[in-house]
Amino acid sequence: MILAVLFANSVGNILVERFFGVPAEERLHWRSFLVKLGADNLKGVKNEELLVACHKSVYIVYTVLGDVSIFVVGKDEYDELALSEVIFVITSAVKDVCGKPPTERLFLDKYGRICLCLDEIVWTGLLENTEKDRIKRMIRLKPPTEF
Amino acid sequence: MAQPLVKKDDDHDDEAEYSPFLGIEKGAILQEARVFNDPQLDPRRCSQVITKLLYLLNQGETFTKIEATEVFFSVTKLFQSRDLGLRRMVYLMIKELSPSADEVIIVTSSLMKDMNSKTDMYRANSIRVLCRIIDGTLLTQIERYLKQAIVDKNPVVASAALVSGIHLLQTNPEIVKRWSNEVQEAVQSRAALVQFHALALLHQIRQNDRLAVSKLVTSLTRGTVRSPLAQCLLIRYTSQVICESAGNTQTGDRPFYDYLESCLRHKAEMVILEAARAITELNGVTSRELTPAVTVLQLFLTSSKPVLRFAAIRTLNKVAMTHPMSVTNCNIDMEGLISDQNRSIATLAITTLLKTGNESSVDRLMKQITNFMSDIADEFKIVVVEAIRSLCLKFPLKYRALMNFLSNILREEGGFEYKKAIVDSIVILIRDIPDAKESGLLHLCEFIEDCEFTYLSTQILHFLSIEGPKTSDPCKYIRYIYNRVHLENATVRASAVTTLAKFGALVESLKPRIIVLLKRCLFDSDDEVRDRATLYLSTLGADDAVVETGEDANEFLFGSLDVPLVNLVTSLKNYVPSDEPFDISSVPREVKVQPLAEKKATSKKSTGLGAPPTGPTATVDTYERLLSSIPEFSSFGKLFKSSAPVELTEAETEYAVNVVKHIFYQHVVFQYNCTNTISEQLLENVTVIVDASEAEEFAEVVSKPLGSLPYDSPGQTFLAFEKPEGVPAVGKFSNVLRFLVKEVDPSTGESEDDGVEDEYQLEDLEVVAADYMQKVGVSNFRNAWENMNPDSEKVDEYGLGPRESLAEAVNAVINLLGMQPCEGTEVVPSNSRSHTCLLSGVFIGNVKVLVRLSFGINGQKDVAMKLAVRSDDESISDAIHEIVASG
Repeated sequence: MILAVLFANSVGNILVERFFGVPAEERLHWRSFLVKLGADNLKGVKNEELLVACHKSVYIVYTVLGDVSIFVVGKDEYDELALSEVIFVITSAVKDVCGKPPTERLFLDKYGRICLCLDEIVWTGLLENTEKDRIKRMIRLKPPTEF
Repeated sequence: MAQPLVKKDDDHDDEAEYSPFLGIEKGAILQEARVFNDPQLDPRRCSQVITKLLYLLNQGETFTKIEATEVFFSVTKLFQSRDLGLRRMVYLMIKELSPSADEVIIVTSSLMKDMNSKTDMYRANSIRVLCRIIDGTLLTQIERYLKQAIVDKNPVVASAALVSGIHLLQTNPEIVKRWSNEVQEAVQSRAALVQFHALALLHQIRQNDRLAVSKLVTSLTRGTVRSPLAQCLLIRYTSQVICESAGNTQTGDRPFYDYLESCLRHKAEMVILEAARAITELNGVTSRELTPAVTVLQLFLTSSKPVLRFAAIRTLNKVAMTHPMSVTNCNIDMEGLISDQNRSIATLAITTLLKTGNESSVDRLMKQITNFMSDIADEFKIVVVEAIRSLCLKFPLKYRALMNFLSNILREEGGFEYKKAIVDSIVILIRDIPDAKESGLLHLCEFIEDCEFTYLSTQILHFLSIEGPKTSDPCKYIRYIYNRVHLENATVRASAVTTLAKFGALVESLKPRIIVLLKRCLFDSDDEVRDRATLYLSTLGADDAVVETGEDANEFLFGSLDVPLVNLVTSLKNYVPSDEPFDISSVPREVKVQPLAEKKATSKKSTGLGAPPTGPTATVDTYERLLSSIPEFSSFGKLFKSSAPVELTEAETEYAVNVVKHIFYQHVVFQYNCTNTISEQLLENVTVIVDASEAEEFAEVVSKPLGSLPYDSPGQTFLAFEKPEGVPAVGKFSNVLRFLVKEVDPSTGESEDDGVEDEYQLEDLEVVAADYMQKVGVSNFRNAWENMNPDSEKVDEYGLGPRESLAEAVNAVINLLGMQPCEGTEVVPSNSRSHTCLLSGVFIGNVKVLVRLSFGINGQKDVAMKLAVRSDDESISDAIHEIVASG
């Protein structure tokens, strides 16, 4: 199960947070934990370089893309390997929508589309779509090209 | 005040600074959402408003019920628009708002229409939205469409239906299970993602059917799997099949091993790592099987991608726990990872090296770790400290280097958990490696000179009081202890006083000097410190310094508190000051945990029958009060133990009955708790008729029927038996509930005058040996064991035959004896071949019993057990052996 997908800006403000099956009272704790993890480790990291951490049976894969930090949290079958696949799809889709690694402003300008992409990629905790071209078409309600 | 004028000379910067959502406010956006109701819809404007609503929701903002309903109704109006972009937004918004059951009806017709639309993408999205918001009834109506969608030619539609199926399986399993033919067909799909989703769903549908899973794995491992994600799933299912099938590992032909091995050569890294992990986790994996997996993992250790390095080292770390020798080839690569930027990887590398390193590499490793420790967080440091502790126990000769390392890091900065981990490690090393004792104690003494944690200081002082007096020169610790009396807070000072007293009691030559020090403590500013000093001075015989410290003083100072602290606190609170002094022997010894059955019963009643909340949970105290209020039982003496309630009926039956067994020295009382769950009935004169023909040593003496048992108002009936004094008599009792049943008019609540005699068969009840044992733990098993008379020890060996696992065998013996496991020894590490379990309890007649169980398991899963018992009464040691022999 993918437990959370979170986007934050360079100073740790939340841009998007989506939790799946995480009780409301634990969300604040996760949010501050992830932001701190990013503040401690993401300085000087190259775009899309993946970092990984684990706490007990929960895995976290995170990276930076332009001005935005991206965190994906998972457990069970969504271990570090599956999560790296998920975050790869997310970064590709965001880059595709924004045309480049986004500044915070650009990210917010494309906010609606990014939300739609996330909706195509993660369906309440499960990975649904993995190809950026297909996702790009699907958020406009266009069928996939191979079909 | 006027805003200072700022010249905006760079438009680009300005643009980057301001967020399109700057100053966004929920109330205003909800106002804006009224555009959804416009007769002439502006799709662009509507999309912008939806984006703003999404932004609010994604920031953690919540809508009240009324707000959400209003937005939801407005959003449904947008189905009128034919704009594709807007429609996609509408689908997302409805999912985000997750409307309540009574609101869903508004959109279902629109969504059903979309689900039958010719536009595939409408179908895919409406399926996802519908499955998110509907309930079981509606699902039955659309089931036909979903089944068609699963085998739809368009992969997006098929995936939408399959992923929805995975979610719906949690809430409506019986419906989704009917789709297995379609899902089976989708597994053969040429679209990679459809196959992945179908495989996941099919496995979930059939996960309890071993044969079906085995067939699925067999066919797919031979066929084509199109995506790495699906391949990873298949590997996991394969290892599950291998684990469940009793493969013949002796001859080496493990089923599906070749498949896993072939996956090690797959082109996707994810698949290779998954296969390597599956091989390393095989039950009883051999070195030959491990080698290819470890080889590929070794290659990943030097990968440029942190995720792959992490995955590889995490797997090797697990392998090192069971097969350290297989991992030694990777040592050089792992040493390279100690300086890895990613601290999780570095910590895993170090802890793995600590497991695989040999004695000669310890010094070199410690040097590397010392540099590493300064720049990692406490949570990682704790992992390293724990690994060093195990290493030291493995190579006791290296204790000097390892103990020095621990004492050095103890002096550095760190939080409580970290310091506690170090102190715990030093304590364990002192206990297990006799040579390390003196240096270890001195390290701890130095630590308390500058320790900011009261808890740790008091723990160390307590430990010093046990170990210090037994060293060659106890005198050298006194300075450190007495310094605490001057420099610390009251809690630590009080502990220091106790420690001094214990040194005085155990080391006769130090006693006069200790008495001098204790006398100085009489002027302390804190009551507790002064009280302790006064008490210990009198215990040590300060008035008559030549008197040797007596047995009583030692028992007082070193004897453990043989009643649970919680019970003592409760009893003291209930004690009313009077002429009669408080009697510690009146404190109950049984630690009462609320039994699961009672919890269930409580929750069932409050939800199922809408009864008022039940009274406080029955504890030993309430049982005791209840029984002593019944004159027939007053002569039975003090209650020894009450069991947890045993259910005698199945859930959801007409009459719910459970029984609590109360054990007295010469009697056993069964308390039958009865509940009548039929509102049209009143039961009267309720008794339980017991056939005790299979319980020869028991003779029925008292029966106390229940006068009336109205609907949903629990009542009790009792039955008492006499049994031989102090003997752990066992037996089986069959029970029948007998009563007079009267019809009740539910509208008026009045019952008829005449009733009918009726009976209701209940389950059998057993009195077992464990009923005569109280679960009473000891804080330090080793001390308790050594303080017990060695002559009372009885040792014997038993063969327990083939067992499912070692853990299962350990649990069975613990349950058979009904004793309290000590020091966490009830937990058996996975894959271990042997285990020692320590148990403690009080047997009927208030006889303390300690048990040491040593288990071993062989390749055929035959378990052998050595049982050593010490107790206050030799005959009880024999009785424990009899229980095990007959169990």
